[in-house]
Amino acid sequence: MDLYFLSEILIVFGGFAALFLSKQFSMMRGGAVLLICTGCLLGLYSSVTMLFGETVLASFKYLNVFSLSFKVDGLSAFFLIVIFLVSALGTLYSYHYLSDSKKAFRIAVNYLFFSLLIASMALVVTANNMITFMFCWEIMSLSSFFLVIYNYEEEANRKAGYLYFVFSHVGAMFILASFGLIYSYTGNFTFTLNGEIPDTTKILIFVLSFIGFGSKAGVFPFHIWLPHAHPAAPSHISAVMSGVMIKTGIYGILRMYTILDLHTPVLGNMVLVFGMISGILGVVYALGQHDLKRLLAYHSVENIGIILIGIGIGMTGVAYNNPTMAMLGFAGGLLHVLNHALFKSLLFMGAGMVLHKTGTRSIDMLGGLLKNMKVTGTTFLIGSLAISGLPPFNGFVSEFFVYLGGFNGISMDRTPFALSLLAIISLAVIGGLALACFTKVVGVVFQGEPRSQAAENVNENGATMLIPMGILAVLCAVIGVFPEIFIRLSIKGVSAMGLGYSQLSLEPFIEMTGNITRYTVLFIAVFLVIFAIRTLLYRGKKITQSGTWGCGFTQPTVKMQYTGSSYAASILAFFKPFAPLRENHPAIQGRLPAKTHYHSHIDDIAELHLDKITRPITFLFDKLHWIQHGDIHLYIGYILLTIILLLFFV
Amino acid sequence: MIESIVLWVLAILTAPFFSALILKVKAFFGGKKGPPLLINYYTLSKLFKKGSVYSRSTTFIFKMGPMVSLGVVITGLMFLPIAGHAPIFSFQGDVIFVLYLLGLGRFFTIAAAMDTASPFEGMGAAREAFFPIICEASMFMILILFYSLTDELQLSTYFSGNNPLELWKTAGSPLIFIVLAFFIILLTENSRVPVDDPATHLELTMIHEVMVLDHSGPDLALIELGSFCKLFFYSAFIARLIFPFNMENLYLSGGVFVGGLILVYAATGIMESVIARYRMDKVPQFVLTSFALALFAIVITLEFVK
Repeated sequence: MDLYFLSEILIVFGGFAALFLSKQFSMMRGGAVLLICTGCLLGLYSSVTMLFGETVLASFKYLNVFSLSFKVDGLSAFFLIVIFLVSALGTLYSYHYLSDSKKAFRIAVNYLFFSLLIASMALVVTANNMITFMFCWEIMSLSSFFLVIYNYEEEANRKAGYLYFVFSHVGAMFILASFGLIYSYTGNFTFTLNGEIPDTTKILIFVLSFIGFGSKAGVFPFHIWLPHAHPAAPSHISAVMSGVMIKTGIYGILRMYTILDLHTPVLGNMVLVFGMISGILGVVYALGQHDLKRLLAYHSVENIGIILIGIGIGMTGVAYNNPTMAMLGFAGGLLHVLNHALFKSLLFMGAGMVLHKTGTRSIDMLGGLLKNMKVTGTTFLIGSLAISGLPPFNGFVSEFFVYLGGFNGISMDRTPFALSLLAIISLAVIGGLALACFTKVVGVVFQGEPRSQAAENVNENGATMLIPMGILAVLCAVIGVFPEIFIRLSIKGVSAMGLGYSQLSLEPFIEMTGNITRYTVLFIAVFLVIFAIRTLLYRGKKITQSGTWGCGFTQPTVKMQYTGSSYAASILAFFKPFAPLRENHPAIQGRLPAKTHYHSHIDDIAELHLDKITRPITFLFDKLHWIQHGDIHLYIGYILLTIILLLFFV
Repeated sequence: MIESIVLWVLAILTAPFFSALILKVKAFFGGKKGPPLLINYYTLSKLFKKGSVYSRSTTFIFKMGPMVSLGVVITGLMFLPIAGHAPIFSFQGDVIFVLYLLGLGRFFTIAAAMDTASPFEGMGAAREAFFPIICEASMFMILILFYSLTDELQLSTYFSGNNPLELWKTAGSPLIFIVLAFFIILLTENSRVPVDDPATHLELTMIHEVMVLDHSGPDLALIELGSFCKLFFYSAFIARLIFPFNMENLYLSGGVFVGGLILVYAATGIMESVIARYRMDKVPQFVLTSFALALFAIVITLEFVK
């Protein structure tokens, strides 16, 4: 535990050091990166040891009123590993990414808030009472808000920041409400209940906190901030926010479930339904995006959906006394937390490199980048395969576990049967759609020919940007082929949830991972044999280069290539009720038609309907606007009035 | 084990032969003599002898495409009980593994097509990305039915030995739906009429064929072999379902199995001869039929379980 706090201090110290060194640009970057990275690695080491050790506690008195108390159990340690691992790589990446010496002070501020974000995320998952939790949660929300508005000159980014600010605070209000409900029964701020809360209230508490945590995690329909904030933030921030920060929402849901200790099917059903909706709609909206980072942001919604499906299956298993199903669901969901953190940060880093070198995020402006950006392209391809859940990469392993959990539910009847059926089908559809979406991204951005000047003659450099991508890609493959140790980690996390499954034999699960290892190796072996045969077949053959066969057309231009929009069009038409399409395309008229253009936009139905909620609220507040008039004397009057009223009533 | 390996090798070797049956049936309906039954071996050996021409737009993914798409099917066949005999490998959940491997093959086929910067190949790729999504959903629907009947997630428990016969005994009528649903999946996944026409002359209307336009020589041969094996893979499912009988003698059950296969391939040929390809925007409805059939099959079993 001491090591853990030391790492926290080191990280924050790194951030403040950057602020003081902002005059010496490279020293500031180098120092901050070095300190924060060392802190993260130290934290990673201490969390691995804590995962396999006992539960540890620590508490401090703050102002002699509130006690700040921290606890690390298996679940916290699992999330700590994810947080420190991805943050370390994200920090390393930032060294070459933030290389504009004209913005030295802004970069220093960025490091400060980045260090605060990392430290507060780690503190959130170790907080052991409500005050500590909310305290760290707010630091996390605020520091990430300042990171989102890094490029505040652009209006879109300020708007994104504002949206994120509103969402994280409305979410925090919901969490606070659920804590308040608990407090009204227990009378203290600890995370332990002694059975004095009736079950119906517990359900209400869970629902409130689910909305709060869901808005952080990006669960549909509380995800609206996510596709705006991620493109606005610098890429290493998007990587950490999407890979790790939104997972604190998942942690909150799991922690709340553990605290409430309520095993009715309702909770599992609810989580499962939200998971399925987020999963499918997330990937459908992702398909419709033209902005690379926005597309990846919607994929976070999808993957949060998969994680929730896993957790929902786990909760259903618990509710119906099916330990195998519960373990498969929870372990699959938790492993997907780790997996998503790895491949999503990899993809955001790749997108960051593309943005850094070409200056555009628009998918349809790019093309052919793989030829000049070998490392970025290859690692992005690996990330794409992993996020599509394909073997031999890590996404497959966690989805495989969730599938098996779902199939376990098929043996039950009525509600759990129907929900398991829907969960399996949604997973299959999500997998297919993710494959379609990432063949689009890889195909349009990295393959083919450059579609605009921006994508021509680019190169990749910056060792600190390439190395983290390489490490993440290797990790994706390692988990995909040798998942045993990682499944053990997530099972450690699950056993900390107090479900009484510590006696459950690990053997069947280890056997499954053994099978995955054996048969992915088998596939790789088959592939290598085919590779050898192919090499033999081509020995001494004449191999020539030529243009692409244009089916008889001899004057092709790069503009004729299939674009991302056209690639996704038919799939989106299939989901039309959920993904309304807006097109702007003046018709071609006359014998000598003028130039025309085509613009399409997929509307997010949650965003469309958000207006219906916000309009009456803004109307109401407009009516109350006279209260706020800027006269300080009257404000003091308000305070006096409130105190006098309180004297009467309290 | 050795028998399983022999059967696996035989399956890969004979897959091109069975595909030629479709051509024969189509020729028969067209009143023609048709190519010889060994035409595909001739084509393969011709392609293997050639060199290749690569487009300047392509990268290493273009060369990986054929290898991966063949590799996944060959690996998948190792988990498939051929002629009712136990497969080489089998484990709990192997169906999901094989389905996702096929997904990997699809990823690389599409990526290889996108590598050429050709608008036609992009068009084919977009279709190849779309239709199999629905197929996958109905495939998992069928899996759910099989799981609720057998409590297992292994191809060997569905298709080896007497197991298909047991399936018919416990759930006969839903299995009729399943056979039809499987057949639709077979047509879609293997790019046959009415989803795709492998023999059409216009690139605009193709799916699979247009995606491999730029491949040549041994690369094309690997793709062709892969698609023969893939068709064999799906046909073997249906062949075992329509002829579920298991003979004591391996040769006899092999004969029955081949009979089933011939029937499936002939049915595919007849399909291609009597109906035209659907308009592209009608295809999803056709594929969704298989999903609906599988769903009905589950609903029926639910009623007589309770």
